[in-house]
Amino acid sequence: MADPHFGLERHDPEGFSLTAAVDSAPPDEPSLPVGEWLRKNLFSSPFNTVLTLVFTVVALAGLRGLLNFAFSEERNWDAVRVNLRLLFTQAYPEDQYIRVWVSVGIVVALSGLSLGLWARLSGVPVARVAMWSMTAGGLIALGVVLREPSAVSGPDGDPMRDAAGEVIRQSFGAAMGDRIWWWLAAAVLFGVGAGLWRGFEDERRRHTYVPTIPLVFGSLGVVVATLWLYRWGHYAFTGNEFVYEPDRTAALSTKLPWTVMWLLLMASWAAGRQGRGTPAEGRLKVLVNLAWLLSPFILFWVVLRDPAIDWAHVWSTDLPMAAGFVIGGGAVLYGLTRPGIGEVGRVIAVGLLAFAGFNWVAAFAGWYPMLQKARFGFLLLALAALLAPNFTGERAQRLRLVWGWAGAMTVVQYLVTMANTESTLNTPTSEFLGGFSVTLFVAVFTLIFSFPLGVLLALGRTSKLPIFRVLSTAYIEAMRGIPLITVLFFFANMLNLFLPQNMELGSVAAVTVGFSLFAAAYLAENVRGGLQAVGRSQYEASDAVGLTTVQRTMFIVLPQGLRVSIPPLVGQVISTFKETSLLAVIGIFDFLFLANRAIPSQSEFLGVKREGLLFVSIVYWIFAFSMSKYSQRLERRLGVGER
Amino acid sequence: MTAADTAGGAAGADTGAHARADMIVCEGVSKWFGDFQALDGITATIAEREVVVVLGPSGSGKSTWIRCINHLEHHQEGRIVVDGVELTNDLRNIEQIRSEVGMVFQQFNLFPHLTVLGNITLAPIWVRKKPRREAEAAARALLERVGIPEQAEKYPGQLSGGQQQRVAIARALAMDPRVMLFDEPTSALDPEMIKEVLDVMKGLARSGMTMMVVTHEMGFAREVADRVVFMEEGQIVETGTPEHFFTSPAEDRTKQFLSQIL
Amino acid sequence: MSDSSSPTLAATQSQRPPFYRDAVVVKWLTQVATLLLVLAALFFLTTRAGQELAAKNISTGYEFLGVNPGLDLSEGIDTDPATGGRALWVGMVNTIRLAIAGIMAATALGVIVGVGRLSGNWIVSKLSSLYIELVRNVPLLVQIFLIFAVIAALPRAVEDQGPIHGWIHLSNKGLSVPRVFPGDGFYQWLVFLGIGAVVGRYVARRRRRSQELTGRDAYPVLWLLAVVAAFGMAGWWLHPVFGWLGPVFAVVADAVGAVPPGAVQAAISLGALAAAGWWIKRFVDSHRTPAGLAKLTDDDYFRMIFAGVGAGLVIVTVFVVWPGLASWVVNSGRDLFEVVSDKFGNGRSGPPIDGHRPDIQKLGNFPNYGPAGLNFTQGMAAVYFGVVLYTAAFIAEIVRGGILAVPRGQTEAAQAVGLRRVTMLRRVILPQAFRIIMPPLGNQYLNLTKNTSLAIAVGYSDLVQVGQTLFSQTGKSIEIFSIWMLFYLACSLSISAIVNFFNVRLRLVER
Repeated sequence: MADPHFGLERHDPEGFSLTAAVDSAPPDEPSLPVGEWLRKNLFSSPFNTVLTLVFTVVALAGLRGLLNFAFSEERNWDAVRVNLRLLFTQAYPEDQYIRVWVSVGIVVALSGLSLGLWARLSGVPVARVAMWSMTAGGLIALGVVLREPSAVSGPDGDPMRDAAGEVIRQSFGAAMGDRIWWWLAAAVLFGVGAGLWRGFEDERRRHTYVPTIPLVFGSLGVVVATLWLYRWGHYAFTGNEFVYEPDRTAALSTKLPWTVMWLLLMASWAAGRQGRGTPAEGRLKVLVNLAWLLSPFILFWVVLRDPAIDWAHVWSTDLPMAAGFVIGGGAVLYGLTRPGIGEVGRVIAVGLLAFAGFNWVAAFAGWYPMLQKARFGFLLLALAALLAPNFTGERAQRLRLVWGWAGAMTVVQYLVTMANTESTLNTPTSEFLGGFSVTLFVAVFTLIFSFPLGVLLALGRTSKLPIFRVLSTAYIEAMRGIPLITVLFFFANMLNLFLPQNMELGSVAAVTVGFSLFAAAYLAENVRGGLQAVGRSQYEASDAVGLTTVQRTMFIVLPQGLRVSIPPLVGQVISTFKETSLLAVIGIFDFLFLANRAIPSQSEFLGVKREGLLFVSIVYWIFAFSMSKYSQRLERRLGVGER
Repeated sequence: MTAADTAGGAAGADTGAHARADMIVCEGVSKWFGDFQALDGITATIAEREVVVVLGPSGSGKSTWIRCINHLEHHQEGRIVVDGVELTNDLRNIEQIRSEVGMVFQQFNLFPHLTVLGNITLAPIWVRKKPRREAEAAARALLERVGIPEQAEKYPGQLSGGQQQRVAIARALAMDPRVMLFDEPTSALDPEMIKEVLDVMKGLARSGMTMMVVTHEMGFAREVADRVVFMEEGQIVETGTPEHFFTSPAEDRTKQFLSQIL
Repeated sequence: MSDSSSPTLAATQSQRPPFYRDAVVVKWLTQVATLLLVLAALFFLTTRAGQELAAKNISTGYEFLGVNPGLDLSEGIDTDPATGGRALWVGMVNTIRLAIAGIMAATALGVIVGVGRLSGNWIVSKLSSLYIELVRNVPLLVQIFLIFAVIAALPRAVEDQGPIHGWIHLSNKGLSVPRVFPGDGFYQWLVFLGIGAVVGRYVARRRRRSQELTGRDAYPVLWLLAVVAAFGMAGWWLHPVFGWLGPVFAVVADAVGAVPPGAVQAAISLGALAAAGWWIKRFVDSHRTPAGLAKLTDDDYFRMIFAGVGAGLVIVTVFVVWPGLASWVVNSGRDLFEVVSDKFGNGRSGPPIDGHRPDIQKLGNFPNYGPAGLNFTQGMAAVYFGVVLYTAAFIAEIVRGGILAVPRGQTEAAQAVGLRRVTMLRRVILPQAFRIIMPPLGNQYLNLTKNTSLAIAVGYSDLVQVGQTLFSQTGKSIEIFSIWMLFYLACSLSISAIVNFFNVRLRLVER
């Protein structure tokens, strides 16, 4: 059934399909002769001919407008080029910039490993690559003809103007002559494409494929190579002084790291590839997944933030507390999961929960002080104690549970300590992140926090227990009824008022909390769709074999329901990513804010706005478009949405 | 309620069950769905090692009755005692009864995202708290018993209907149940697969399992059942041995039903 | 029924389990505990906020609605509102205007693009796809900023210019187009149209009956339109004859104003009680069997209690929490009828619908658009075109999906029975596609309405922008947030009500 050349690896066993899983490749269209194709698709009736003519003119005019805009002498693309670093990391200190590269490197390495371990992207048909090449060549040629002739530049480099103030332009012929390199590029692309097409379009060879991984790595390599060869301009800080030389290749501080990243990507891919099929593959996959899960916290809170660790405090407070929770909590869990303990265990766990809740009441009333970290620790312990009996069995299983607790608690205590420690970074702004990095930070953390909350809300809304259902429904509908911007305003201005004493969140953190609460409502609706696809019969079967409610949810309902909700969840990721742009409205220095406000107020680029905004659009578009393509592919693979 | 009385009496008289312990005792069990009364005062006793086949037209409450016995449905009036444990609101009793009563559904209800082995070992590991290795060994033995040892690593979607139903039986047996409930186990199967499932069930009956079977397979009822119970409109109309039931039914409604299906 | 039919039963003691093992008790205890936890958390949080606010000397309460905020709004029905409440009202009207105009334009554009994507014409379908993929994957706010920047870079407004001088002006001040608005006698004319509709329906029904009897086409719909048009045309000049309705409405207004608030409170309470009672009675009836009342489960009791508590909450709100609600209802009712009464009589004899072409005025050195045309200021144009273009891309996908979802067999069946192409579209394809399109379309309308709140980013005075300004003046964040929330919830409820209405109608059409 599956065309082996398309689609990622099927993680799912072939036997499991909630709906008919069809791994469909786009059907091969029989290629018509050009004349017939034109008649069929463009000139089939008088009405169609008119439509074709009108829209061809519209398309050409649009393309011409776009080109004239983008390549106009008035455009100041330097505003983007010079500010690239600002746009991505804002004012991250120059002497600490290696931290940024380390972070990027970790993400690149993890991506490479994951590609190597999971992806089975076997190839793109040569005929399709040929088509791309021909299209690119054709478009370049079209653009070269359509764009208005360049302005004649005067002695000072500025365009010359006539008496009326209009820019003086070259003659058409001269302009075409000046663009000889473009012509050449177009001709080469088209020629290569046409040659390949000739060779590979016939029935016998149309299933010849270019392997995807070399294709992707090769294209990236070409991009990296241009950094060394093409004169993009040399923009660099030398001793904290910004140096700006337009006629050189990219600065070493740009091209070297990216070259390293490119090599790292290939190396980690090869490593992942090696690990595939070995006995350790399963464990390796778990490790990589864990690394992905932890990397946002470690990268943003530890690597990029560089906390100034107060060792005295660590030894006197943090370590003992962590040890207490790890050991004491482990002991409590081990005791509470004794097989014969029965309801007593549950009663003790509820008691713990009451104690954990009471700590906050006490904080409110000011009865006794306690570190916020400890309050959360007790809450986590109580929840673990309440849930643990569902996930335990013989002694080895109990010990595994205790080890799991110890590991999780260590990580949590470490991360919270790090997040609570002052940063050593010396940045001019209150936040150490800015530009695209803050956009990513908010998007990633919103997704991480909203996911569990959204799943809980979805479970609540599909629950048989009426009060849970009413509460979840009310929350979800209220959140979905109001615009995000109002929620962000509220949280940016108000969150600290609601927090307990001695607890404060920075504006980015506060906004992330609000955004997560908002996104959770939408996420819950997506997950609910999946949960409703799990039939009643599955519930009955789990009840009949004696699973508890928690076990049924974790082992049966969620695995099945979440799988169905994957495509809408990717959609949710896209909208969350796009919605981070709203940070600009509440005055956080995100990607969009920098392009819309910060750059246009720099003295060199006063009022230069459209270039930056266009660049921002392109970056957002690339991310969102590739994710939506991925989700369409998943949808096809899972057979969801096919009627 | 004469029919109900005969049910109790017949059990004692026909199978000599007084020597055996009572496994399932129902008394005056009633259940409503909204304004529809699904069960109307069901009173019956099923002895240990007894095989009871429940017959009746669709909508007569057969399925609801056996679903009440392992608390998939909550009976609203009357008492149900399974193996000396009464089915009340007591969570511990519900837990106990569920792990002692195995159930096989019409649509198999296997977990599609788990392998056959995963389906069978899930409950023993997490409910019975058995070590994984032990549970897997037991599961393989059970698969051997139902005749599909080679399918352990496959997913339910890759099996035929008959094989799926046999996996479902193995899944229920993996909990070492004292009672097995079958809710129309062969209704969703193609004719050629019915036999393989019925064979497994017959083997189970011979091994001395207490069984309650809702089915339309008259051959099975004749051959295996110790007793046949006929239900209509939520009540037990008639009960007796297969010979008595199929040859000389007492009630008119039973005769009518038999004339329709035989 | 035999009581001791089984020795096993007698031997088994049926005793109540301890509460922590009782399924029903545990079930309700968990839920009630969770509910209490949520309420307690809310209580603690609000108390904390109250303390913080008190420490910052910010009072809580809605007095600011009656105080002059000294705001200047960029546009709206009242650019210099006298009170905070009035300012918010102007913002709401701006939001609603933007939303309604946006919904209409986005629907039109979305349907065109969606159908275009299915077109057999290669270039039309490719351009539609390109549009959808480009617009959908760029954040709306970025697009709004881009449009804003592009408008800002347009040439300055000059008196005798514009793409179509005298009709459409486009400059860095935004866009100005001819404006059509209800004139003097509009409401009197509406009465004419209403009567025309009633008469027209009657005529149409008679025509339809004759069509069914004779089998000859009697054009009932055409007749209906003709009758309404005739009334409309006659009413264009004759509408002053309904001037007498003004005093009638004035009397009604007085009557409404004379209702004592207590009566309104009582009416609302009784209504709530009656609704709850009716619901409970219906619920119990649905559990009644021929043999008597079915046994109710704990969930059934919860539902009835929930209905009762709901009614109780309404009563408490009306009498205790917000006693002013009753007089507010009375006053609004009176105001409404007064406004309506004002639209009739008093020598209103002008044409019901009027229009102006845009004009350009020169105040000081810089020409700007005058009040005659329909002006899209820079901010408004940015938000409006932003949300319209953005939402249209999503609507296009919905429309395309809906049409594709109608099975091909339907088309073939319609052709087989010999329906004409238009009839087939109207009677077979569209009704089915609409049923699929309607619910997600409603969602998009809701999204569009919520997205107009991005107006704040470009300084258009919508509700959120006005609220934010009031907040920075008064610090009343909770109060303003509550107003935002109520308004948008009301919007979403009305949109889903409208969508549901059409959904139900379409389902009837199908039968």
